[in-house]
Amino acid sequence: MENSKQFVHKGVVYSITTLLLIPILATFIYSLSSSWGATILPDGFTFKWYSSLLTDPRFLDAFGRSLFICIASLLLATLLVLPMIFVVFYYYPKLDKVMNLLILLPFAVPPVVSSVGLLQLYANSSFQLVGTPWILIGTYFTIALPFMYRAIANSFTAINLKDLIDAAHLLGATTTKAFLLIILPNLKKGLLASLFLSFSFLLGEFVFANILVGTRYETLQIYLYNMRQTSGHFTSALVMTYFAFIFLSTWLASRLTRGNNQ
Amino acid sequence: MSYVKINSLSKRFGDVTVFEDIEFNIEKGEFVTLLGPSGCGKSTLLRTLAGLDKANAGQICVDGVDITNVSPQHREIGMVFQSYALFPNMTVEDNVFFGLKMKGSSKKEAKVNLQKMLTLVELNGKEKFYPHELSGGQRQRVALARALIVKPRILLLDEPLSALDAKIRKNLRQQILDIQKELNLTTIFVTHDQEEAMLMSDRIFLMNKGEIIQQGNPVEIYTKPANEFVASFMGNYNLISGETAKHWFNINTTSPKVAIRPESIYIKEAGRHYADHISSPKSAKIISHQLLGNIIRYNLKVENEVLTVDLLNRSSERLMPKGSEIELLFNLNEIQPVGT
Repeated sequence: MENSKQFVHKGVVYSITTLLLIPILATFIYSLSSSWGATILPDGFTFKWYSSLLTDPRFLDAFGRSLFICIASLLLATLLVLPMIFVVFYYYPKLDKVMNLLILLPFAVPPVVSSVGLLQLYANSSFQLVGTPWILIGTYFTIALPFMYRAIANSFTAINLKDLIDAAHLLGATTTKAFLLIILPNLKKGLLASLFLSFSFLLGEFVFANILVGTRYETLQIYLYNMRQTSGHFTSALVMTYFAFIFLSTWLASRLTRGNNQ
Repeated sequence: MSYVKINSLSKRFGDVTVFEDIEFNIEKGEFVTLLGPSGCGKSTLLRTLAGLDKANAGQICVDGVDITNVSPQHREIGMVFQSYALFPNMTVEDNVFFGLKMKGSSKKEAKVNLQKMLTLVELNGKEKFYPHELSGGQRQRVALARALIVKPRILLLDEPLSALDAKIRKNLRQQILDIQKELNLTTIFVTHDQEEAMLMSDRIFLMNKGEIIQQGNPVEIYTKPANEFVASFMGNYNLISGETAKHWFNINTTSPKVAIRPESIYIKEAGRHYADHISSPKSAKIISHQLLGNIIRYNLKVENEVLTVDLLNRSSERLMPKGSEIELLFNLNEIQPVGT
């Protein structure tokens, strides 16, 4: 009885996993096959799609741009959000409720709508912002904000902030020192988790990138979109490379966050 | 001249007055307790002394120097919190070392001092442990060592024993006292537990609603309660009206109430001789009794009053059943007129 039950459970889990893996596996095989037309199995295997992708300077440039924008917006978010949450939690704990409403705003407006609004807002500004990476960094900051705020705020509630800072003050530490030496190390886990989550989310962002900047600053997703007319094998290789990268960073994230949990 | 002098200290949060015109002096090496029910302002008073909350008016002097406007970093006051407030990302050693590190000392220099502190709180061998790997009592001892290593002029203890279970509380209580005496440390202890306050303190400041109601050594506070509040807070005092007391004990009192300790009332035993001041017999009826281990507590009805009487539980045969009619004797020296 117990065994047959477990058999059913395992069966469900394995079949769902297989179902989810099929498209990834198919894409992977397609990206490795020389041609795969009217036959059940591909005609032959080759690495040429990967080699042509990884030697394409346009791809490498787009990848670099995407990395730059993501890292820059996350850096901006970290620098702004960390001290802000500290101020909210330590000096004005009542503001947490306001913040929780505020961080929901980016979700309330769909990207297509808000990008049009941003275009109108910045199209006629005295300095050129639309079409540059800077507007994208600013926009991505608002997308990353909810993830960052929630995760870091959770870490803040998990520690006894007031008593810890008070104890540090009485032992001679300034508020800045107390923040850097005591509070920050305890936020590491939440911060890293939110950074990696936002990173993989931002790397795959297409709508804002396409409308606000488009081909003038080709990011990875725009490149993928522009390459849709070329060989399917090539785009499959592109998708698999992207997927592998996200997988790697997620794995790294779980490794790092686990490392903190001594 | 007193070591710590507090002059008309006041603290408000917005419109709410937490305490007003607090005055007291503490001698060097004294162990004093701020005792009172929750919300009486004792913790805020302690935080104000530490500089964590700013006083709205008044003055705090330590060793003749006004420190009212000195930042907590420079007050040289150590504090132990109810929540331990240990730094979770640091080992025991790093926690204790933190105060010296802030003063620019290196771990190498401080090694001897660090070991001495850990020996003092009996935590040798736990240097590399993290706070979450320790028990509550051990954590509080780390917090104590952390506060003591910088040689504070005053040690503040904010309900440090409240989060611990009974047995550990008893041990740590003794340990704190031993260390305090050994270092001759001026200590201010905050608690809501009157038993703890009586056991530990040289002097008790009893607080209620932001005021110090009575101060004195534990014996004075317990045997001579200044008013009804002190009497009901310090023990299971019986409070009867002044009129009834006049009538019962044939005494002259203008106080609205008199307090009688439950252990100063006797249940008369046949054939036993009582001293002269133990008199004023009254007949009473037992309503109920509770066995508190070494003490039997009777609730009795005398005329229209209900009294509590504590007797030592000498032998189980003396347990009198509910409804028994008995005679009471009162120790007239222990009848204490109190104000409201």
